[in-house]
Amino acid sequence: MSNNNYFSGLFSGIKSLLVGLGVTMKEFFTRKITEQYPENRKELKMFDRFRGRLVMPHNENNEHKCIGCGLCQMACPNGSITVTTEMLDTDDGKKKRSLVKYEYDLGCCMFCELCITACPQGAIEFCTDFENAVFDRAKLVQQLNKPGSKVVEKKVAPKPEAPAAKPAPAAKAEAPAAKAAEPVEKKESNPETPTTV
Amino acid sequence: MTLDNIKTLEPSQLRAEMQGLKAKGFDYLSNLIGMDWGEEGGLGVVYCVENTATHEQAWLKTASTDREQPVLPTVSDLWDIANIYEREAYDFYGIIFAGHPDMRRIFLREDWVGYPMRKDDKPEEQNPLRMTNEPLADDTTQYDVQADGTVTTKKNVVFGPDDYVVNIGPQHPSTHGVLHFRVALDGEIIRKIDPVLGYIHRGVEKLNESYTYPQTLALTDRLDYLAAMQSRHALCMCIEKAMEIEVSERVQVVRTILDELQRIDSHILFFSCLCQDMGATTAFLYGFRDREKILDIFEETCGGRLIINYNTIGGLMADIHPNFQKRVKEFIPYMRKNIKEYHALFTGNVIFQNRSKGIGPLTKEQAISFGCTGGTGRAAGWANDVRKNHPYAAYDKVDFNQVLRESGDSFDRYMIRLDEILESLNIIEQLVDNIPEGNYKEKTKPIIKVPEGTYYQAVESSRGEFGVFLESKGDKSPYRLHYRSTGLPLVAAMHTACKGFKIADLVTIGGTMDYIVPDIDR
Amino acid sequence: MFDFAKVTNWIDALLLSFLPGWAATLVECVLVALAIITLYAVFAIILIYMERKICAFFQCRLGPNRVGKWGSIQVLADVLKMLTKEIIDMKNVDRLLHKMAPFLVIVASMLTFACLPWNKGAEVLDFNIGIFFFLAAGSIGVVGILLAGWSSNNKYALIGAMRSGAQIISYEVSIGLVMLTMIVLTGTMSFSEICQQQADLGWNIFRGHVPAVLAFIIYLIAGNAECNRGPFDMPEAESELTAGYHVEYSGMHFGFYYLAEYLNLFICAGIASTIFLGGWAPFHVPGLDGFNHVMDYIPGAVWMVGKTFFVVFLLMWIRWTFPRLRIDQLLALEWKYLMPMSLVLLVLMAICVSLGLTL
Repeated sequence: MSNNNYFSGLFSGIKSLLVGLGVTMKEFFTRKITEQYPENRKELKMFDRFRGRLVMPHNENNEHKCIGCGLCQMACPNGSITVTTEMLDTDDGKKKRSLVKYEYDLGCCMFCELCITACPQGAIEFCTDFENAVFDRAKLVQQLNKPGSKVVEKKVAPKPEAPAAKPAPAAKAEAPAAKAAEPVEKKESNPETPTTV
Repeated sequence: MTLDNIKTLEPSQLRAEMQGLKAKGFDYLSNLIGMDWGEEGGLGVVYCVENTATHEQAWLKTASTDREQPVLPTVSDLWDIANIYEREAYDFYGIIFAGHPDMRRIFLREDWVGYPMRKDDKPEEQNPLRMTNEPLADDTTQYDVQADGTVTTKKNVVFGPDDYVVNIGPQHPSTHGVLHFRVALDGEIIRKIDPVLGYIHRGVEKLNESYTYPQTLALTDRLDYLAAMQSRHALCMCIEKAMEIEVSERVQVVRTILDELQRIDSHILFFSCLCQDMGATTAFLYGFRDREKILDIFEETCGGRLIINYNTIGGLMADIHPNFQKRVKEFIPYMRKNIKEYHALFTGNVIFQNRSKGIGPLTKEQAISFGCTGGTGRAAGWANDVRKNHPYAAYDKVDFNQVLRESGDSFDRYMIRLDEILESLNIIEQLVDNIPEGNYKEKTKPIIKVPEGTYYQAVESSRGEFGVFLESKGDKSPYRLHYRSTGLPLVAAMHTACKGFKIADLVTIGGTMDYIVPDIDR
Repeated sequence: MFDFAKVTNWIDALLLSFLPGWAATLVECVLVALAIITLYAVFAIILIYMERKICAFFQCRLGPNRVGKWGSIQVLADVLKMLTKEIIDMKNVDRLLHKMAPFLVIVASMLTFACLPWNKGAEVLDFNIGIFFFLAAGSIGVVGILLAGWSSNNKYALIGAMRSGAQIISYEVSIGLVMLTMIVLTGTMSFSEICQQQADLGWNIFRGHVPAVLAFIIYLIAGNAECNRGPFDMPEAESELTAGYHVEYSGMHFGFYYLAEYLNLFICAGIASTIFLGGWAPFHVPGLDGFNHVMDYIPGAVWMVGKTFFVVFLLMWIRWTFPRLRIDQLLALEWKYLMPMSLVLLVLMAICVSLGLTL
């Protein structure tokens, strides 16, 4: 190393260090970016597309839209959804599938949104709750349909409706539920293809 | 693209053909994919070699019908990267490569029974949960085919009794995940590195064979979590091309913007982690501060920050959020300003310069032979950008530079990535105001079945060429879905890059190589 | 200036009034030891809190703010945690050395801590070769670090300890030379006399002007290296060696290393302020008598601690800005740059003093 290099290297090195010190000193007095959770719980609102946890919205009459077709259960890669249905006789003598229990295991869910895309009725959606921690893993298994709830009655065949934030599950109404993975049947095991309302 | 003309070779012809291709300038082995074509087809390998001058690809395949001891010739002496790819094929399919110097398992435990990717293998039955420590052998086996056709074995030494072996990882702050290097040291000088992989091997490729096509998408975000957009983009594009779905211009442009945002995200994290590895904790947090802005953009439009889950077969899960363009446009000048801060704080720093210049160089030849794509290859002067060489999405409509540097040392690898942030910002700037109108999603059938055939699609992910190789038998699940890992070649090249440098340089070199472990282990 | 010797003399007289001479000395020793240990603990807590806050502010964060107002009792909680943690007995370690090493480190640190002059008349260890004693006592620490690395039977720890040995021994050369430079200026090695002189004649950094300022900078760099703090924290370089020499220590044994690290920082800063910045001597501007008079009202201990914390802040600023050096670069910095420079400074200072060029 020549003498020239020695000194020029020394001075340029010192200069670079001083520039760095300047940057940190500037940041020292800049406003800090820390989010003060949980103090900011009130203002802290997640983006509306955030996938926190699966829910089944119920209307004011305790009615949901799920017809128990089980497409979501089949779409789920992890098996985190279990749909239990039963066959009921309707007034006009036909048999009709009805939802008994919609179990969702938050612990297995990987938030891929396939269930929502698969749902022909728009019965399930993700809510923006993010405080999902519990002390017991068993509590992560949630029943999404409220006790005593029933499917919303509709006169006309439902169009595939979807809220703005979610993609329209196009051409889902005529989707035949593949018989390969029939949802868990309760009481009756009638392999009849479910009749969409 | 559809691969309808894969050249089928007898194992005996393979080496001559490969040597011929290599001599013709096909010097980059981009894929070496193990396959199980059943009883008749046998166990085999699909090769993809690329000419780095003309970017012409050649696809070949060979197979052995002997399921007891399938032996194929090795190509590990022609391409360095074949060494680790052939170990992968051996690990998953039990294919023995004659002449390969190091036939050890790579992802699975050494005491694993069976070869899990074979269609007739039952991994659960043969491999109960073992409570014993994983054995790590210090020697390895080489299989050779003699002139009379018999297979002989020979022991090769990985680490001798005189080697002072230090385990860097699997729990180590600077291996960026559960990566394990066994490092033979001479004082502080590195003599040999042997990567031990597979600590988070989840069998993604195996899982995919039982998943439906939409379900396979869910796993791509979990490969390279800093290239989630691009990986998923590649898989979607591969399936769309196979099914001949034309996505709209809008989707193409949005995908391009998001890919570039993801690249910036990844490169910022690269900067942060390199700073952290080298002890500059403050710079680390500056990187995180800026990355937060990108994650907010992602979260608002896609609903996720790390597991983004946005691309889907035929388009996007949802249209872009109304705030998307505004936020992106705010971000561009913000990031340009902060890059200057990075340079002032860290790039110019004499300590960093001394620790990175001339450290761990990979020459262009080595980078190509190891298949080190992405920034690592471009730092050595290898123009390997898939966006330029095989344009996809909206990359042929935008004007951007492929950043190249000469020496391939740690400093160049670092600078490449910071410069690419600026290039990515340029790309985004050109597109963000001109997002064309159109469907955000094409209609697809409820049950997606890919027509029979073999397909391949590569994208430029955050750290190199990410490829999706799909073989379909016309079912609703893939017959074989292979991902070209971007990180595996980088880890394979670690020994070459680190040899003769100090243990502190291992951290610098590893940091600038910028590998992500979930993508390596898959 | 208030002379703390009045207090100590009063206590001495009080004890002698009802105790025999040897017993009085014994009681005084115990009292002084208690005072030192208390101060040691208190400063450790303040320093750790300060480091966490300052580092956070450099990094656009807020730092600890949950336990107590502004996180003020966070460190206390941490100390409590550390005290209650189990000290794990390792297999295959050299038991005796493994247990002894942290004590060596903490003893060295306390001995050097006792050298600091807190106020006029409030020096604990003060004799005519004070600086020599300080250097000698400080060197015991490296033995503790080497023993820790060796006895842990761990490759990381061994590499860390070896680096540490090479580093500390090298940088002691510069520290010694820089101190010699200042001794040439002051003509005494006793800390109390150095301070008294600065109170009378002005701070050394002003008196010695150019060589003293350069010596101060070299001292800061070398002292930082001596404390194993970033950017010279190779021995514990967490991204290479996880934690270096103390990787196998747990509970309070680790706590001793942790404490010693922070106190060494404080001691390094304290010695810097004693030798260069006047110790407990207040800031005086010649000619401004009114100003000087006001300054004299501020007690010496406040001056001492204030200056020390200022230097500590400088060192923290450096630590949280720069990346870590590599071991060979670290040694090159010492042997190629600092050591020759401090030799030149020594000569320069000698010339200045002999020609009467000091202020």
